[in-house]
Amino acid sequence: MSETAVTVTASAFLREKVLLGMEPKAYAKSLLTKTNAIFAAILAVGLPTMAYRFWKGMGAVSNLSQTNPWGIWVAFDIVCGVALAAGGYTVAAAVYLFGQKQFRPVLRPAILTGFLGYAFVLVGLVVDLGQPWRLPYQFFLTPGTTAVMYEVGWCVFLYLMVLGLEFLPAALEWLGLAKVRRFMSGLTIGIIVLGVTLSTLHQSSLGAFFLMSPGKLHPLWYSPFLPVFFFISSITAGIGMVIFESTLSHRAFQDQLDPEAHVDMDALQLGLAKGGAVVLFAYVFARLQGLVASGRFDLLFTGWGAWWALELLGFFLLPSFVFAFAVRTRSATLARIAGVMTVLGVVLNRFNVSLIAFNWNVEDRYVPALGEIVISVTIVTLGVLVFRWIVNRMPVLNEHPEWRGVH
Amino acid sequence: MNPETLTPHAIKGIEYLLAISYLALFIPFWRFLNGATPAQAFAFSWFAVPDDVHLHRGHSWAKTLGGAVMVGLDDFGHKLIGPLDEVKLPAVGTAVRQGQKAFTVVADGESFDVVSPVDGNVVAVNEVARAHAADAVRDPYGTGWLVKVEPRWLTANLKNLLSGDSARRFLDAAAGALAGRMSPELGVVLQDGGAPVHGIAREIEPDRWAELVRQALKGA
Repeated sequence: MSETAVTVTASAFLREKVLLGMEPKAYAKSLLTKTNAIFAAILAVGLPTMAYRFWKGMGAVSNLSQTNPWGIWVAFDIVCGVALAAGGYTVAAAVYLFGQKQFRPVLRPAILTGFLGYAFVLVGLVVDLGQPWRLPYQFFLTPGTTAVMYEVGWCVFLYLMVLGLEFLPAALEWLGLAKVRRFMSGLTIGIIVLGVTLSTLHQSSLGAFFLMSPGKLHPLWYSPFLPVFFFISSITAGIGMVIFESTLSHRAFQDQLDPEAHVDMDALQLGLAKGGAVVLFAYVFARLQGLVASGRFDLLFTGWGAWWALELLGFFLLPSFVFAFAVRTRSATLARIAGVMTVLGVVLNRFNVSLIAFNWNVEDRYVPALGEIVISVTIVTLGVLVFRWIVNRMPVLNEHPEWRGVH
Repeated sequence: MNPETLTPHAIKGIEYLLAISYLALFIPFWRFLNGATPAQAFAFSWFAVPDDVHLHRGHSWAKTLGGAVMVGLDDFGHKLIGPLDEVKLPAVGTAVRQGQKAFTVVADGESFDVVSPVDGNVVAVNEVARAHAADAVRDPYGTGWLVKVEPRWLTANLKNLLSGDSARRFLDAAAGALAGRMSPELGVVLQDGGAPVHGIAREIEPDRWAELVRQALKGA
C-alpha cells in the first residue's frame, strides 16, 4: 500500500463496505421491500422449525424412520445440492485447465454458487445428522477408512475449503487487502487442480453410496456404473446451473454490471450450450449401456419403465437436442430453456435414485413431512440471501477496477 | 425376482451394437452442432485470399515476387476499416520486423498501425497507392500493395504466416467472430446476398469502431 493511503475508520468501513455507502437508518429503510418480506416470512417459520428439530430430535419434524432413514434432506439438500454446485469446478476446469478463457465472466459467480451450495449442503447435513459437534468424529475419532461416507465426508470438507480459497480473491479485493490478494494469485492453478480433483472424487462417490443397496434401489436405476453416471451428470448440472444462474443474475443485479466490460452473455451461454449438448448426448448412451448391462429390458414395460424413460429421454436427450438446436440457430433463449431442463433433469435423476426409486419395494413408502419441506426451503432461502449479500458488495458479477484481468 | 431374459452373449452383443451406434450417431450430431451457421456460410465470399498470398494474423499479407516480398493490408482489414483517406509508408531503407509496425493507414480521422508480415528492409513503396489511398481496396493483393521488402529470412518468416486453406479458415473465423457481434438487422442484409458492407467496423460499433479495428490488427 502507498504511504498516502488513508486509515479507514471503523464507522466509515461499516458504511462503505457493509451498508453499501448508506447511513444505518437509510440502509435499514432500503431493506423494506416486498421480496424481503417474503424471505422474512419464510425465515420466521423456518428458523424456529430448525431449532425445534435440534431440540426435540428429527422424529419431531420429519417422517424419517428405520425403513426410510434418508428423506428430502439427503435427496434434495445434499445429493441434489452437491450436483447443482458443480458449476464451480466445471467452469474452473474450462477456464484454467482447458484454456477456454471466454468463460471468465461467469467463473466467479459459478464459484460463489458452488461455495454457498456446499456450505448449505453442510447445513442440510447437520440438520439430517444432528449433534453438529460430533461432525469431526468421522475424521479423527472413528475413521471408517473403507466407507464411502468417509471419502464423501473428507471430500466435502476439503472441497468446501478449496472453494473458499477460490472465492477468497473477491473478498480480499473487497476489503482492499492488496498484498494477500497478490499472494493468492500465485496459488490459483494449484487450488483449481485440487478443486477439480476433489469434485471428480466425490461427485462420483455420491453415486457410489447407492452401490451398497442393490436390493433397495430399483434395477432400472441401480447400476455398477452409478459413480460414472453421477460424475457425467454433475457436469451437465454444472453447465445448466451456470446458464440458469447467469441469466437470473443478469436480470436481478443489472445495476452491478459494468457497461464497459461488454460481456456478450448470449455468445457465452451458447458456448456453454455446445458443451452441454455433447455431454448430455454421451450421458444418455452411458445410461443405455447401464440398462443393457443389467439385461432387465422386461422392466421397461412397467410403470417404472415409463418413468425411467421419461427421465432419460425427456430430461436428458431432449435438452441435448434443444442445446444443439440453440447452438445451430444461435438462439440464446433456447439455450436458457435447455439449461433449465437440464437442471430439472439432474434434480429428477437424483430424486429418483435417492428417494423415488429407492425403497420402491417396501410397504411403508416415505412421504416428506411439512417440517422437512419447511427446513429445506429455509436452507435454500438462506443460501439466496447470502448470495445476494455477497454479490451486492464484492466484485463477483463485475471486475474490481484495480484487479482487471488478474487471476 | 430376477428373470434372466437374455444370455450373457446376447447382452455383450447389444452392448457392442450400442457403442457402435453411439459413435455412428455422434458424427451427424457433431456435424449438426458445428454445422455452418448462416453467418459463416458466406464468409468465404466476403473475404478473398489467393493461394499465393501469405497472411499475418494482424491482417497484413506477403507475396513473394522474385527476391522481394510485396506487403499490404488484406481484404478483411480493408473492408473492416473502410475507405482509406491516407497511407503513411516508411522510407526506402527502413528496417521492418515481423509482427511490428510496418505502415499506417488513416480513415475517418483515425490512424491504424499495420504490422509487417516479414523481417527485412523496405526497398520500394507504392507511390500510386500513396496518392490514391482509397483505391487500394479494389485489388488489395495486386495493385493495392503498399511496400516492397527485401526479406532477411523468408523461409523462417513464412512458417509463421497462413496460406491456402489455413488462411481462408483464419478469415472465416475472423468473419464468424464479427458476425456474432452484428446486429440481427445487419445479418439479414448480408444473408440476402448483398455485398459486404464497406467499413464493417463502423456498422457494428459506431462508437468504438476504431478500437475494434485496432484489436483485429493486433492479431492476438
